Amino acid sequence: MKIEFRIKRYNPDDGGSPEPYLQAYMVDVTEGMTVLEALLKISEEQDPTLAFRKSCRSAICGSCAMTVNGTARLTCNLQVLPEVEKMGSMTIEPLHNHRPVKDLVVDMTPFWNKIEKISPYLMPSSTSGSNAVTAEAEELIDQSQRCVMCGVCNAECSSLEIDERYAAPAALAKAWRFVGDVRDGSVVKRLERLSEEHGMWDCVRCVRCTQYCPKGVSPLKQIERLRSEAMKAGILDNHGAKHVEAMAGSVEKFGRLDEAAMTFKTLGFLKSLGKIPLGIRMELHGKMPHPYIVAQIEAIEEVREIYKEAGKKAGLKEKKKE
Amino acid sequence: MLLVFHDCIVIGAGLAGMRAAIEAARSGLDVAVVTKIYPVRSHSVAAQGGINAALGKTDSWEAHMFDTVKGSDYLGDQDAIEVMCRQAPSDILELEKMGAVFSRSAEGMIAQRPFGGAGYPRTCYLADRTGHGMLHVMYEQLLKHGIFIYDEWHVLKLVVEDGEVRGVVALELDTGKLHRLHSKAVIVATGGYGRVYRTTTNALSSTGDGMGLALDAGLPLMDMEFVQFHPTVLPRTGILMTEGARGEGGFLLNSKGERFMEKYAPSVKELASRDVVSRAEQTEIEEGRGVDGCVLLDLRHLGAEKIKSRLSQIRGLAMDFAGVDPVVSPVPVKPGAHYSMGGIAVDKDGQTALPGLFAAGESACVSVHGANRLGGNSLLETIVFGRRAGASVARYCEATEAKPFPDSALKDACHSVAMVLKRSGGESIYAIRKEMNDAMEDFCGIFRNSVRLKKGYEKIRELRERYKKAALTDKSECFNNELLGYFELGQMLDISECILLGAMNREESRGSHSRTDFPKRDDEKWLRHTLVYKENGEFRLDYRNVSITKFKPQERKY
Repeated sequence: MKIEFRIKRYNPDDGGSPEPYLQAYMVDVTEGMTVLEALLKISEEQDPTLAFRKSCRSAICGSCAMTVNGTARLTCNLQVLPEVEKMGSMTIEPLHNHRPVKDLVVDMTPFWNKIEKISPYLMPSSTSGSNAVTAEAEELIDQSQRCVMCGVCNAECSSLEIDERYAAPAALAKAWRFVGDVRDGSVVKRLERLSEEHGMWDCVRCVRCTQYCPKGVSPLKQIERLRSEAMKAGILDNHGAKHVEAMAGSVEKFGRLDEAAMTFKTLGFLKSLGKIPLGIRMELHGKMPHPYIVAQIEAIEEVREIYKEAGKKAGLKEKKKE
Repeated sequence: MLLVFHDCIVIGAGLAGMRAAIEAARSGLDVAVVTKIYPVRSHSVAAQGGINAALGKTDSWEAHMFDTVKGSDYLGDQDAIEVMCRQAPSDILELEKMGAVFSRSAEGMIAQRPFGGAGYPRTCYLADRTGHGMLHVMYEQLLKHGIFIYDEWHVLKLVVEDGEVRGVVALELDTGKLHRLHSKAVIVATGGYGRVYRTTTNALSSTGDGMGLALDAGLPLMDMEFVQFHPTVLPRTGILMTEGARGEGGFLLNSKGERFMEKYAPSVKELASRDVVSRAEQTEIEEGRGVDGCVLLDLRHLGAEKIKSRLSQIRGLAMDFAGVDPVVSPVPVKPGAHYSMGGIAVDKDGQTALPGLFAAGESACVSVHGANRLGGNSLLETIVFGRRAGASVARYCEATEAKPFPDSALKDACHSVAMVLKRSGGESIYAIRKEMNDAMEDFCGIFRNSVRLKKGYEKIRELRERYKKAALTDKSECFNNELLGYFELGQMLDISECILLGAMNREESRGSHSRTDFPKRDDEKWLRHTLVYKENGEFRLDYRNVSITKFKPQERKY
C-alpha cells in the first residue's frame, strides 16, 4: 500500500540560513512495517541524504525518537499502517524542545548534560553499599530503571518548553533511580540539589512525559516520589515545598483551597508584590480568586478526620522538628 | 582538525569498551572513548537473558569451565576459559557494587536461571533486560570517572608507526571534520558484525568496524568462520527472543505440534547449546515441518504472570513486531545471525600482536567461545576481559613513552574521504550491501558446503571490486549517514571474505560451522584456530594451536 510520508528537512550546509521544509515521499508500506523501516527504505531507495538516528530497531537503545504526527515517539516500534489509519497521515519531524542538527537529527547535548548534572551514579555510604536490593526494594526503582534515554519525555515536557534550564523529566526519573535505591548514601544531598531552582519543583504536572514515555518509566510518578521524599527529609525552604504545605494547610483549615493566600505562603510577602501586575490582569479578566471570603465548608470536621487518619500533616511536623 | 592527546583511546562504548575505559581510568590514566553512537545506544543494551557465574553453593567454576569448553566444541582456549570462569563471581559482585540490580530469589540471593548448554542454573539476570541494566550502570561509572566521550565520531584508521600504535584518525559525524586522537594505547571494543547477514539480531550499527581496522593494521582475525545463529529470532525483522524464554521453560514446536528437540537432544531438549538447536530448527523447516519458514516458541504453559514479570520485554517485542501475544499464542521464530565467536586475536590480557593495541568483547577473540558460545557467556566476557584489557593498558602505558603522531596519517585519511565524496555516477552502497547480505545468508549460513561457500566467496570478491567504484548521493559534511555507511560496508566486505575463507578451508563440522560435505569433527586435522591476515588487499590464512589444559576433547552430546 502506497503511503505518503511528509518529512521535515533541514540541512545547515544549504548555504545562508536555510529554513526547514516538508518533503513528501511515497513509500510502499507492507503489513507490520515500522516507521523506522520506512525511513530506512526511503534513505536506501529514494534519498540517501535523509538524516536520522537509528540503531537497535527493537525499542531498547533509544536512538530513533522523533515527532510523528505531532507527538514524540520511538519510530522503531511504531507500525505505519495502524498509525495512518488512526491519524489519517504520516508527518515526521525532529523532536520538540531540541535544536535540529540536520533533518530528523537533533542536538542531544543538553539532554546528556542534564543527566550528568544529577550525579547519575550510585554513591553508597560506608555501610549502605552492602545492603542487598531485595525484590521489594527493586520494585521501588523498577520503573525508573526502564528508561532508554530516548528523549521523548523531554520533547513533550511543558516546563522545558519555557525554561531550557529545567532539569526535565528524563534526568529527574534517573535521579529517583538513586534516591530510591536502598544502597545510596547521599539521598539528602541529592534531594537538596533537586529542590533548587530549575529542579523538580518546576514540573507543572501536565503528565505528558508519562503519557508518551515508550517504556513505562512514568517520569511524573518518579518526580512526585522525589518531592515527597524531600519533604519527609525536611527540605522545606523552597517554593515547591511551601506551596505543598500551604495547600495542605488551607484544606485542613477551610476544607477548600485558599487560592489567594497560596501566593503569599509560597513566595513570601516581598516576592508576592511582584505578582501584583499579574493579579490586576487576572482581576480584569474576572479570574482573581477573592482573598477575603474563604468560607469554611460545612463538613470540615470530616476533612480533618481524614488528615488525622492519614497522619500526613503530623508526619511532616515531626520531620520539621528533627 | 583537532589533535588531542589521551593516554588511552577506547574505540566503542559498549560493555567491554566502557569496562576497559573505567579500569584504565581507575589506575590514573587519561582515557577517552570514541564511539559512532552515544554510549547507551551500544548494542550491549539489547542483551536480554543474562550473565553466567558459578555463584551457587553446589556450582563451581570448574563446572562452568567444563560447560564452556564443551559448548565451544573444544576449540576454546582452556587457559582463557579458566580465567573467565574463575573470575566471574567477583566481577558480578563488582557490577553490583557499581550499582547494578539483579533479580533476586525468594531467599534474597542473586537469582539464577537455567540456560542452554549449562549443567546448572548459573545465569544471573535483570528480568529480560540484563544488557540494558548493565550498560546503563557502566555508562554511569563512565561519567563518574570523568572519562571523555567523543560520541558520534567514527574511527577511520588506526595509526601505526614503527610497529607501535600512535592513536586514531576519526570522523566527527556532526561536522564531517577529521580529527587526530593521539595516544599511547588503543583498545578496540566495537562489537560484532551481524549486519553482514540478512537476518540478524544485531543492531543496524553492528558492522564490525574494529575488526576491519585491525585487519588494515596488519593484525589477524581469528576463527571468523564461527558465526552463531541464535535459535529464536522473529522472522523478517530478526529481533531476538531471549534464550531465557526457554530457560524459564518454553517449548519449541514444529508444524505437527511436536517438541522436536526431544529427537535432537533427548536429555536437555530446548536447552541444548545454540548451534544444536538452530540446526535442529533448520532441519525441521527444510524437511517441511516448519510453519511459514519458522518453528513455534510456545510459552503459554508458563502462565501470564511469569511471562509478564520475567519476560516482559520479549512479550512487548513479540506483540509489536510479530503481532503475537505469547500469553495467548506461540511465537513464530527461526534462527538468525547473532554473535561472532571470531575476532581480533588477543591474549588473556587483551593484548594483540601489535604493541599498544588491545581488544576486548565481541570484536576480540581470546578465545573463550571456540566454535560455539554459550548463552550468558558474552556479557561475562565483556566485563572480565574488558577489565583485564583496561588493567593491561595501564601497565603498558606505565612502561611506555608517548611518541609523536605522524603527519601523514591525517593526510591519507583526508584524501580517502575526499575521493569518496568526489566520485560520481557510481553504484549505490545500499545495492551492494543488499547483495552481500543475500550472499552471506544463502551461501554461508547454518548449513555449508564447498559449492555454496565458493559461490559466496566469488560473489563477495565481485562486490569488493564494485565497492571500489561506488558513489554517494549525499555530499554534505553535516551528519552524512551515507558516508558512514560507505565505510561500514568496506569493513563488512572484508569481514565477509574472512568468514568465507575460513569456512571454505575448514573441512570439518565443529560447533556453529556445519559442513554437509564434511559432517564429522576432525580433531586430528582441525583442532586449531584459523587466522586470517590482510596483506596488500589480499587475504592469507594461517593456523594456531588450541590451549588444552583440563579437558581432553570428547564427543559432544546433549
